[in-house]
Amino acid sequence: MITVRISFEKKNEASYISLLDLQRVMQRVLKRSGLPVWHTLGFNPHIYMTFACPLSLGQESECECVDVKTEAEAPDFAQWQTALNAIMPAGIHVTRVAPVEMKADSIAFACYRISYPAAAVAVLEQYNALETAPVEKHSKRGKKIIDLKEHIPQLRYTALGDTVQLELCLPAAQELNLNPSLLTGFLEEKFGLPAASANILRTKFLTADQQLFA
Amino acid sequence: MFDPKLKEALGRVQKPGRYTGGEPGSIYKEKDKVDVRFAFCFPDTYEVGMSFLGEKILYELLNSHENWWCERAFMPWLDMKAEMERLQLPLYTMESKDPLTAFDAVGFTLQYELSYTNILAMLDLAGIPFYSKDRDDRWPLIVAGGPCACNAEPIADFFDVIQLGEGENQLPAICAEIEKAKKEGISKKQLLLNIAKIPGVYIPAFYDVTYHEDGRVKAITPNEPGIPARITKAIIKDLNQFAPPTNFVVPMVGAIQDRASIEVLRGCVRGCRFCQAGFLYRPMRQRDASLLNKAAQDLCANTGYEELSLSSLSTSDHGQLEELLDDLNEWAPKEHVSLSLPSLRVDNFSQSLIEKTTKVRKSGLTFAAEAGTQRLRNVINKNVTWDEIEKTCTIAFNAGYTSVKLYFMMGLPTETMEDIEGIAETAQKVVDLYYKNTNHAKGRGVQVTISCACFVPKPHTPFQFVPMDTAETLQAKQKHLLESVHSRKIKVNYHDSTTSFLEGVFAKGDRRLAPVIVEAYKRGCYFDGWEECFKYDTWMQTFADLGIDPAFYCQRPIALDEVTPWSHMDYGITHEYLVREYNKALAAQTTPPCNRACNACGANHLLGGPCFDYSQNLV
Repeated sequence: MITVRISFEKKNEASYISLLDLQRVMQRVLKRSGLPVWHTLGFNPHIYMTFACPLSLGQESECECVDVKTEAEAPDFAQWQTALNAIMPAGIHVTRVAPVEMKADSIAFACYRISYPAAAVAVLEQYNALETAPVEKHSKRGKKIIDLKEHIPQLRYTALGDTVQLELCLPAAQELNLNPSLLTGFLEEKFGLPAASANILRTKFLTADQQLFA
Repeated sequence: MFDPKLKEALGRVQKPGRYTGGEPGSIYKEKDKVDVRFAFCFPDTYEVGMSFLGEKILYELLNSHENWWCERAFMPWLDMKAEMERLQLPLYTMESKDPLTAFDAVGFTLQYELSYTNILAMLDLAGIPFYSKDRDDRWPLIVAGGPCACNAEPIADFFDVIQLGEGENQLPAICAEIEKAKKEGISKKQLLLNIAKIPGVYIPAFYDVTYHEDGRVKAITPNEPGIPARITKAIIKDLNQFAPPTNFVVPMVGAIQDRASIEVLRGCVRGCRFCQAGFLYRPMRQRDASLLNKAAQDLCANTGYEELSLSSLSTSDHGQLEELLDDLNEWAPKEHVSLSLPSLRVDNFSQSLIEKTTKVRKSGLTFAAEAGTQRLRNVINKNVTWDEIEKTCTIAFNAGYTSVKLYFMMGLPTETMEDIEGIAETAQKVVDLYYKNTNHAKGRGVQVTISCACFVPKPHTPFQFVPMDTAETLQAKQKHLLESVHSRKIKVNYHDSTTSFLEGVFAKGDRRLAPVIVEAYKRGCYFDGWEECFKYDTWMQTFADLGIDPAFYCQRPIALDEVTPWSHMDYGITHEYLVREYNKALAAQTTPPCNRACNACGANHLLGGPCFDYSQNLV
């Protein structure tokens, strides 16, 4: 039995479905596809699926993935990709199907591209001038204060027509996982730049030694 | 992709996936290439609307016409409604995101009286005037169908077209008229006159209603030549000609009924006297087992659903149910699909039926006993006996079931406190039965839930003549029920009597209620069916301010010869039959199911012949 990684984009309409909903969507898509995916052996058998690093509601991504298992001998992954794309909901597009190379827990960083209306540049500069940028992070273990400046000392941005784009990489590991909404939330609270005006796109995952996660 | 305003709203609301569309199975067309655009509106939340089978039937049917596009719209929840108002975002459809004003027709389904204000809210969000008379040719045609169309008089003035009966032929016929009208450029009036010729179509503007001084309806008369005095509902004579839909739009954020569903039969043979659906959908017609099996298999394959429900008003009355379950069990377990049968009857629930439905998954049992004593069950013609309940529960407990839900009503005609005690006693007897049964699940207790609704007399039933219990009486009965329950194994749920009261008012209301509904909406009433949103005091103040007594509509006995607000609606049941059943009810006499013997209700005329082949000794 091999573990297969299905990599996909989650954009537009699909960016508004939660992880729980996504699991149900994938379960049904895989079932409809008729692909030979492995079911668990319990009293209520269901398709075995593992998702890496859930994406927040409203954010888009080009690098999501779900791992499934198969007992098929020599699966034709190009055919898997075609079969899945034919029935995916709007906004989900499978970009690659391949045997797993790296385990999901080797993800250490997630990289994002955030677009704001061009006028946001002034606020980004204000952020860059700050000494500290404390934000409150809520997790299962309670609240804690994090200084964004430790992780994002400077915002690097590019003006693109009437928008401005910034790229950043944030820790996305078990010990510390920072959501880019901490930054957009901080910019709204501190400088009045509406978080809702930001488009957040996750572009890639990196391992601890800065390799592209695949 | 999304309009920036919409994106902003989506970023601020709970469960934004309800407002984005794009679900598997949703249909997209090029709007420049279609001739008729139809917005199917469900006047409640996405989760409720996406559970509704009727919408799936009509969505597939209309979209099967290449040059028509049927899209969906739902009532946004409070937070989204507020965002849309703040951002001046008009109500849009899930597919194209176009505002409702871009459509040729906007159709509402009338499932529940307390969603009437949501219809106004949806029109308001789209910037569409409420009253039909205020909309000229430039506005979309506003149409409605569904069970509440049987007396939509309180909201009739808002609609251009109301559809009585089954929509499978009727709605496409309306769309065809719209297509023709657009090509020929005819007026709205002429279009309505054309549509009025389609079976089951009611054009409210073509009828005048006059009233007696005491407020009762005096007469309802057509005001256009060629318009019939009574509208006979539309009906599909042979259900096998319409296979159930095999493609659903599969919601991505949880709908309440999120499963594959196959309508096995329509109508009901039982004749329970309180049940409006039982009278509205007569005669009972069923689909062939082979057709259903094929449709079920296709539906599961097309949607990826792992639960299949056989739905109808009374699934166990299907003549080929065992055969159908055998066919389904050939493939369903292999495909990891579990079967569920809502609407089972206590009296023909068998050992083999329970085995066939629990092969994959086991859930709780639900029985509608409806009344606590045999006398009252006879009054309402719910022909269920304690012996049958006992037999069924024994089968279920032997099979490992540990929870039983019992549905009852209170406020039924001729009901006394003794009947209320009977509810508690019935539940207690089920608990006792469990512990007396040595085969029950080892080491587990039983949970019996009593779910008690307030009885609301509905039009087109033998109980349309009876007054509804007052809130005080209902509350006293609820209190008495709680006092009569002595076991911790029994849980009691009951409905709020004030929402039932308003439901009763609208169910039997007339056109003079329209301004009340508009005014209540303007004062902030919508989502009335949702406890957290229901503003009873605002409603009562609105009635008072407009000088209308709501109790007049539902808490007053209606004389057997009175002209009712719905007397121009013909659902195939004769008035004489309703009177006969009403008198039998008062005498606690029962009427047998109509597949055993015809009781001459009149509905056979809709089919042009007998409803059943009585020589074949059914059931």
